[in-house]
Amino acid sequence: MAQSERERRQAAQARLQAAGITPPKKGGPSRGLVLGGVVLAVALLAGLYTAWQNQRGEDVEPTYAVARDGAVVTAGDPAAPVKVDVYEDYLCPACAQFERLYGGEITGALNEGRAVVRYHTIAILDDRSNPPGYSTRAGNAALCAVDAGIYPAYHSRLYTDQPREGAAGRTVEELAALGSELGATGDFTGCVTAQGQTQAVTDATNAAAADPVAAPGGRLATPTVVVNGATVDLNDSGWLSNAIG
Amino acid sequence: MTRDRLLDLAGTAVRLGLATVWLVSGGLKIADPIGTTVAVDAYDVLPDGAVLVVASVLPPLEVALGLLLLAGAGTRLAALVSGLLLLGFIAGLVQAWARGLSIDCGCFGGGGPVAAGEERYLSSLLRDLGFLALAVWLSVRPRTLAAVDGIRRGGDDGPARGTDDDAREPGRTERTS
Repeated sequence: MAQSERERRQAAQARLQAAGITPPKKGGPSRGLVLGGVVLAVALLAGLYTAWQNQRGEDVEPTYAVARDGAVVTAGDPAAPVKVDVYEDYLCPACAQFERLYGGEITGALNEGRAVVRYHTIAILDDRSNPPGYSTRAGNAALCAVDAGIYPAYHSRLYTDQPREGAAGRTVEELAALGSELGATGDFTGCVTAQGQTQAVTDATNAAAADPVAAPGGRLATPTVVVNGATVDLNDSGWLSNAIG
Repeated sequence: MTRDRLLDLAGTAVRLGLATVWLVSGGLKIADPIGTTVAVDAYDVLPDGAVLVVASVLPPLEVALGLLLLAGAGTRLAALVSGLLLLGFIAGLVQAWARGLSIDCGCFGGGGPVAAGEERYLSSLLRDLGFLALAVWLSVRPRTLAAVDGIRRGGDDGPARGTDDDAREPGRTERTS
């Protein structure tokens, strides 16, 4: 009759004990346990290191020049060797993460004149806020922020405190108040209230959607980043440093 | 074939199954860090700073669990950590469901907000509970075949054994005396 592994071992133990032999106990944890602990610890440290790498450089003060043409904002020296086109919607969660991951690095490159970024103010998620229209409203305010001299801080703030999809988003009054808080000059409140850039935002969105590079097959997604005329894979964390060289 | 042997065989399938789950889900997350951060953020439970930490730690941790289970190294430890992780995921899903958030679980990459009505909470939850069952099996009975854990120092007459020593030896010795 087949004996189970357990029974067989128990019998062997019993025979040893009967003979007065105590099998030596192995000291310490097993090899597998140690290996497991080490592998998990390494994975944890690798993750923390990545997080640390992504978090640093967030505090770079923007010192670059900003100008705009309609709803396209040019940040940095237009003569810089690396031309970057960024297509963003202020309600797009991945855009917020893009800014979180690469905002500091971009600011550094713009400050040093190593790159110039053209921010295309896109509104493709207007129907994702309730009531609809947050993308265009925030886009309007951000363009007013260029004229008010606070675009870098305002742009960044709209992403760090981004409303959720499905939420109402900031009202015109809240968008105006945010500008005052960040030190807007001129009639920022009047500009935001007028919402005078709506057509420019629509035009920029349509132009981007018609651009075969930014919107292959007419499908425009945000964030889309084009470096020197070719889209880049944003999951390659070296997309900017590779371009700058 | 004895009952132990059958359980070893079943445990091996469980181990390799859970390994596959982690390797696929971790691999997809590693390939898409922005998407992973969006997915973690969409659960709306963690403060901003913690979102990035969790989104950075999760992918390598999942892959590490997958590799350990694939090799059968530290099976019980990997299973326990898997179980804890899955409990965390399940808690995240349940709170998102209860609060009526419209998100995709992002369990296998992707994730983030979705249009209302496109959530698939029930299926995600059932799937996670299934994975949790695999982790519980291996935590209770980590012994499997073809496992690194089974390679014993100084040789042994037994087949591959996947248990951690401290969890197994005392009880057995007592029973025999």
